[in-house]
Amino acid sequence: MSENVAETNSALTNEVPVIEFKGVSKRYANGTHALEDVNIRINKGEFVFVVGSSGAGKSTFMKLIMREEKANTGTIKVNGFNLTKMRRKQVPMLRRTMGIVFQDFRLIPKMTVFDNVAFAMHVVGAPNRRIRKEVTNALSAVGLGDKARSMPNELSGGEQQRVGIARALVNNPALIIADEPTGNVDPNMSYDIVSMLTAINKMGTTVLMVTHDHQLVREFKQRVIMLDSGKIVADNTAGGDEE
Amino acid sequence: MKMGDIRYLTKEGIKNTWANRLMTLASIGVLVACMVVIGLAVLISENGNKALGDLEKQNVVIAYMKDYSWALYGRETDDTKTSDSKAEEAKTNDTSTKQETDDAKETDDAAATETPDENGIKQSDYYIHNDEEAKELCRQIEKIDNVKKVEFISSAEGLKTVTEKMFKEEEQYFSFLNDDNPLPCAAKITMNSMEKFDATIRKIENMQEIDIVRSQADSAKKIVAIKNGVQVAGMWMVSILLLISLVIVSNTIRITMYSRKLEISIMKAVGATNAFVRLPFVVEGVTIGLISALISEGLLYFCYRVVTEKISNIIGTTVIPFSEMALTLLGIFAAIGIVSGILGSSIMISKYLRKEGSEFAAI
Repeated sequence: MSENVAETNSALTNEVPVIEFKGVSKRYANGTHALEDVNIRINKGEFVFVVGSSGAGKSTFMKLIMREEKANTGTIKVNGFNLTKMRRKQVPMLRRTMGIVFQDFRLIPKMTVFDNVAFAMHVVGAPNRRIRKEVTNALSAVGLGDKARSMPNELSGGEQQRVGIARALVNNPALIIADEPTGNVDPNMSYDIVSMLTAINKMGTTVLMVTHDHQLVREFKQRVIMLDSGKIVADNTAGGDEE
Repeated sequence: MKMGDIRYLTKEGIKNTWANRLMTLASIGVLVACMVVIGLAVLISENGNKALGDLEKQNVVIAYMKDYSWALYGRETDDTKTSDSKAEEAKTNDTSTKQETDDAKETDDAAATETPDENGIKQSDYYIHNDEEAKELCRQIEKIDNVKKVEFISSAEGLKTVTEKMFKEEEQYFSFLNDDNPLPCAAKITMNSMEKFDATIRKIENMQEIDIVRSQADSAKKIVAIKNGVQVAGMWMVSILLLISLVIVSNTIRITMYSRKLEISIMKAVGATNAFVRLPFVVEGVTIGLISALISEGLLYFCYRVVTEKISNIIGTTVIPFSEMALTLLGIFAAIGIVSGILGSSIMISKYLRKEGSEFAAI
């Protein structure tokens, strides 16, 4: 399975977009227009902030990328998968090409830090020996090599989020999606987390981060996509926050 | 799915069984109750079959004769049969000669003049007056087609056979019967073939000197009725209990899933296939089923031993030893456990597998 991920990653070139939306609209059953005619292209190796107020369509945008939701119109391509034509059975294969960092960390409280990270590798069927090696490397990369045996409740919010980043990173994905990863941590730790994601991005992994923190957006000077009422109102490829 | 994955997920499933031990215990309790009832239905049915088979093997009948005892004790209760047979005889003998009618008239006249004894019984009221006549009747029965052997049983021998089966106290209580034996003399008839059983019985019953033929057929009919009843009731009971088992296991798995919804949402987010998410729950369901099967087997063994020992002591009947049924029952229990485990968990997890990310938080 990890071989598949590696193949998918190697197949991605700078010319091939990692994420491509063409005329995408999403309307929910209750009549809410979450996204309207969204066109966007994110290439391999980019770091993109997605900003917007509550109800702007950020969550729907992420759900469409992860194929938790299906678009009503338009086409979506992610990591070489055409999500519009994708069957339910293929969804796990798509998700193995991406790592997800959640705002609320989503660590399993009864598992150690090591097991929480290893869990993501077990799911993709990695052999035990590889799991031991990769998990140790991922934890060292996020500066938690000495906390492998700790339980999540023994860690600070920032440390827990770093475990979440290690879990997202451990399968060597082509794309990391971070859904407000700094939402539950203090400002100093927020800076560290975005720095860490920037470092991962510099190694070639595409990073898409949803945030409300304009200070961070201004500081890190990356591409910013701004959503408002389901439409892209700004796409600043030069970096920096427009507000 | 690789062998390593299966090993990992099986381990996870067994760990979950222990982690949710309270729910597991409750499920095992209900499943064991269901399985024990199912096992009892199977054992009753099998013992019924055995008893029936034993009876079918017995091709011996007892024909009671119309002797003095019959005239004294059994004639009044047998009036219907006698008059019926007489009417039947009259029908079949339409072609009887006038001579025969005259003979009968003479006999009736003789009977009318005869003086009854102190019990009000006349010689003409019964057909077998002594052992010689009884033995002669036995010889006549022996000539009937399909009759292999006829053995004469006098009233005294009959009483002895009955009292031998009694407890000492009962034997003493019924000792007055030795002076006033109510049993008629009888013929113990062994047949050649069970296929002609009913026809042979009818021929014997049609003899004027025979009161009634007692065969095991009556008991066999009763056992067949009980066995059929147990089978029908058992089928219903088993179906209902299987449904209950399914609901119970589903419920346990539902609770497990609820407590593990975070894990499932992460699994799905990192690309777990449905089979990967499902397997630990199926393992948990099957583990509960198999533990229940083993406990039920042990419990049923213990109950069956106690009950059969008591039955054997009281009615002297032999029952199927548990060892003969042990493997079959274990197979049935294991099958119920596995099926309810797989179905129960699959039904429940299918609902969860359709959910995505944030939908888990809303569960």
